[in-house]
Amino acid sequence: MEVQPKTFADRDALIAHVRALSPSLSPEETFVSDTKGGRDAGQALLQNIDPIAYGRSRDYLGGAVSYLSPYIRHGLITLNEARNLALERGPEDGDAKPIEKFIQELAWRDFWQRVYQQNPDWIWHDIEDYKTGFTAEDYADTLPDDIRQAQTDCAAINYFITSLQTTGYLHNHARMYLAAYIVHWRRVKWQAGARFFLAHLLDGDPASNNLSFQWVASTFSNKPYFFNLENLQKYAHPQAPCDAASNQPLSGSYEALAEKLFPYGEPA
Amino acid sequence: MSALIWLHEDALRAAHPVFAEPHERAVFIWDDAYMAAMDYGLKRRVFLYESLLELPVEIYAGDTIETLEALARAAQASCLISPHTPNPRLNHIMEALSETLRVQRIADDAFVDLPPQEGLRRFFKYWNKAKKLAFTRDGGA
Repeated sequence: MEVQPKTFADRDALIAHVRALSPSLSPEETFVSDTKGGRDAGQALLQNIDPIAYGRSRDYLGGAVSYLSPYIRHGLITLNEARNLALERGPEDGDAKPIEKFIQELAWRDFWQRVYQQNPDWIWHDIEDYKTGFTAEDYADTLPDDIRQAQTDCAAINYFITSLQTTGYLHNHARMYLAAYIVHWRRVKWQAGARFFLAHLLDGDPASNNLSFQWVASTFSNKPYFFNLENLQKYAHPQAPCDAASNQPLSGSYEALAEKLFPYGEPA
Repeated sequence: MSALIWLHEDALRAAHPVFAEPHERAVFIWDDAYMAAMDYGLKRRVFLYESLLELPVEIYAGDTIETLEALARAAQASCLISPHTPNPRLNHIMEALSETLRVQRIADDAFVDLPPQEGLRRFFKYWNKAKKLAFTRDGGA
């Protein structure tokens, strides 16, 4: 058995080696993320965290997020390290409220891992019924081509798909928008969306990704998650194209959208 | 008889407690079929390989079970030590290897020092118990 190399002339040589070791990869897949693997890269991001600014702005696509998730996902950085540093960077008076959102987000990861440990079979199966007025059979098994090709009728959604495919990253709010679009606007099974995310996200984790998809779909929550254009414009502008003319299907009040998306009964 | 560390994709850190265990060598198995089953594309695979460059492991390519069995035989290892993971595919591999090797799973530093909760379903049920520890250095450990 041959030991594989650990030194390369440059990143292109490493990428070529990864391809050579990966015959299952489609030759059409060409994008590589600018985000580099390794503890040093993760440490640099860790040292940059601003948990107070995160708490104020994290819902916005331009918010002060940490970009630590791929490093946490693969164990290069621990939740414990991130929490300990966040505690040091909290207010000097010891008030924990301004850093609560940051620490709670770390806790979500811990929660998903605990659920995964207890119920590994939940990851690909509906934990509960859909609460959308539809049954699982009403949802398509596969992702439509226009979604794969970022050619849908919503410019913001196309922007999210392209970002996902080229960078391997999506802001958490953008993940929720795209997941909701796939499941509720296009009535595609959450499993197809989850598989698409896992193929592209650097931080894609079976527990966090799939259980979040089930939360959006309503098979692991009390009601489906959906959004409207007004919400998108508030949080995703100016990063994503959010004008009404190129995002028509997302337009409308929550009541009007619920009637359209869930005509057989939308949960309270 | 010696011990072999099998590092997998959930624990790519030289400071993971698994490395504190006495061992002869540490390896990572680049398993194309496993990665395909996990739906990993090129971006993820490059990230993983880059993360391996700075770790004290030798990288081998092949089927994980067959390669680990061969490496254990060659090293006359009786024990396989690996980071704890909830991933059922990795756990299945450990179970298969436990027929011929003593398999030891080593947990990483915990976020909160909290025992598993039965019937865990909703986040806030967990959070109500975890919150105080989550705001404590080292999670109360």
